Amino acid sequence: MNELRGYWNEDNKPGIRNSVAVLPLSVFSGTAALNISNAVEGTTLLLHTHGRAEIGLNRERFHTNIVNQILNPNVQSALLVGYEHKTTERYLSEIRSKTKKRVESIVVLDRGTIDSVADGTKIAMELSSAASEVTREPMSVSDLCIGIKCGSTDATSGIASNPAVGSAIDNVISQGGTAIFSETTEIMGAERVLAKRAKNGEVAKKIVDAVKKNEEYAMSLGVDLMGVNPVPDNIEGGISTIEEKSLGAILKSGTSIIQDVLGFGEIPAEKGLYFMDSPSAAQEVLTALTSAGCHLILFSTGMGNPSGTPISPVIKVTGNRHTVKRIPEHIDVDVSGMIFEEMTRTEAGKRVYQYVIKVVNGKRTRAEILKHREFSPVPVGL
Amino acid sequence: MHSREMDDFRKISEHDNVAIALRVLQPETKLSIDGADITINNTIGFGHKFALSNIKRGELIIKYGETIGRATEDIKRGDHVHTHNLVSMRGRRIA
Repeated sequence: MNELRGYWNEDNKPGIRNSVAVLPLSVFSGTAALNISNAVEGTTLLLHTHGRAEIGLNRERFHTNIVNQILNPNVQSALLVGYEHKTTERYLSEIRSKTKKRVESIVVLDRGTIDSVADGTKIAMELSSAASEVTREPMSVSDLCIGIKCGSTDATSGIASNPAVGSAIDNVISQGGTAIFSETTEIMGAERVLAKRAKNGEVAKKIVDAVKKNEEYAMSLGVDLMGVNPVPDNIEGGISTIEEKSLGAILKSGTSIIQDVLGFGEIPAEKGLYFMDSPSAAQEVLTALTSAGCHLILFSTGMGNPSGTPISPVIKVTGNRHTVKRIPEHIDVDVSGMIFEEMTRTEAGKRVYQYVIKVVNGKRTRAEILKHREFSPVPVGL
Repeated sequence: MHSREMDDFRKISEHDNVAIALRVLQPETKLSIDGADITINNTIGFGHKFALSNIKRGELIIKYGETIGRATEDIKRGDHVHTHNLVSMRGRRIA
């Protein structure tokens, strides 16, 4: 049975989860948001420590990541928990102009944390009650947007889990679906291989330029990427250099044509495979991918990264049989048979794809069950 | 006894001058690769690389058929290849 069913929302898009988002707009309204979410079943908390005095690029990224989370199809409705009146009104009117979903707000400085929790709980209760009436209806693979990430990479990632994820992604793209991979630093050394898959010369140049800009930025800070990336768990796993990590990493994007390069957290305009210009730390990339509208994330890991998101399920795929034995609670799909040639790329890809279909239809991933809900709207890494 | 490739190691592309250990390889382990014998010189951890040929200081290390960096010292056939003798050529102040 490969029928997919999703929760169609007011924007006429199917979500694979049916969340009432409780979203603090600033670090100071986080406590009220936390208490509201704890009090109301069916809500999803997007807790963070930002939203005050960010400047320049980080201010833009925070803004995009906050607004776009609510536009993600997995969100049915939302309560914005603001700190002060002016910013809260600005976010509320912008988000309402972009979605027909029900979006409400409260302001902590207007009434204090205690009354904000009481009033916010009443609002969230009504939103949860309404959301629970929505039932799953048929959707198709072409409605899906899948994020692709790898983390806690080791030498098995490049020969098993990344090719397996790439095969599943090829399948989704061939059925008219959408997928986004990212991590600009982690295509460094492999950008010319990727550029050959670009839709045209302009997109090829964008891919190469994104890496060049990142490399120049690192130089301008006077930092050396050696010692920063690969990270210690990569090195322990046998990865020696960023080029080696990148050449293995790009295999998770499959073999499809790359339509365009997206900005951080940007929603793709069309269907197909996209590259997002972004930093590479897992929690920051996952936040940007849910911002871009990804229903779920395929996450390839060697050493067993546990991360999740508040909005979208994250499926962990590993090719490392030691990791499967050591920390099974971090792993959803085991493709370690590829290492010993007991399983081909196509067979492993099919296993990943079938798991995706189950998760679309409601199966909980390990990260969901363990409540891994990392949310990091302001990136700090490269 | 000689090891079989699919169980013990993997050479990814025909152009590669390193292969990956798929189990811990002990010193003196003898492998047969592309019809030639290689003796492992150091302990090679799961997923770690060893040299398939003698590689001189400054020469390129090839995996996936692409450059993954440069040798910082002379590397002998069968040596462990990792951060102690292989360095990235990207994102560095001194490449």
